[in-house]
Amino acid sequence: MSEGDSHTRTVDSFSAYLEGELSPDEKASLEHHLSTCIQCRTSLERFRRTLGGLGRLKRTGAPHSFLADIQRQINRRSRGRFFRRRWLLFGRIPFEWLSLAMIVAMLVYYIVVLQSSPTGVKPIP
Amino acid sequence: MSLSERLLVARLLKRDETAFNEVVRQHGDRVFNLVLRMVGSRAEAEDIAQEVFVTVFKSIDSFRSEAKLSTWLLRIATNHAKNRIKYLARRREQGREPGGSDSGDLADEGRAPAQSHIRAPDVLLEAAETEDIMQQAIATLEEDQRLLVVLRDVEELSYEEIVEITGLPEGTVKSRLHRARMTLKQLLEDKFK
Repeated sequence: MSEGDSHTRTVDSFSAYLEGELSPDEKASLEHHLSTCIQCRTSLERFRRTLGGLGRLKRTGAPHSFLADIQRQINRRSRGRFFRRRWLLFGRIPFEWLSLAMIVAMLVYYIVVLQSSPTGVKPIP
Repeated sequence: MSLSERLLVARLLKRDETAFNEVVRQHGDRVFNLVLRMVGSRAEAEDIAQEVFVTVFKSIDSFRSEAKLSTWLLRIATNHAKNRIKYLARRREQGREPGGSDSGDLADEGRAPAQSHIRAPDVLLEAAETEDIMQQAIATLEEDQRLLVVLRDVEELSYEEIVEITGLPEGTVKSRLHRARMTLKQLLEDKFK
């Protein structure tokens, strides 16, 4: 095998080598070539850095309004059949607010009705 | 496919809106990131990613339960991204977009600094490991090469998943991916010569 063939074969095996997919014989042969060839060693190092750079690309998340935008699209395209706008807090029945309203209503009832009843009238001093 | 995924799909088939919301929450970021890396523009990526999920809601009946939901989603995403890339290329050819790219393009960011200050190739390659320069290099890859690089090296999917998404045999995926990586390495080296 010529020296050029050896370089080509080595370079062609970079991906398989770095992903651990070479057989023990292939791996040994490649590592032997690398130990004697600075050109292929440099090339492998740059290849490795390229892959490293790709792996470090940060993940960009979808925008905050993403789900709402999709829901709007589906609602429009289905002519309102799906994802109808609900007038509920956080898309569900707001039990917290309902209970608060009940408490306030009971309090008002107590003050207005019970306090003004004959038994609730305070004696004049 | 796991039991929870089966149940989720069953609810999706009934057009259960909360199940759909769950799918968007689970897979939205990944789909968005994939199309962003493919098209290189946030505005386009947002539009495509939304379209992907609208398609999912509409076409869930065509989902075959032997596949993974995530793989099916990513296949839809890659098809939408490829179509958009072709459409944008056509539009650019027709001269409607002189100069080519939007202000939100990832590939437009951070071009000058690395080129103007650093000289030694190895240091330049180190600089090339930064986000923006890498994205520029990805953007110059051919569409098929770009897809494989994004799926394997950015999204870190298994070869099995990539085969399912692209429909290519595993050997073809591996050889094309290697060529793509070599092209990328060469692009980065040439950039700083």
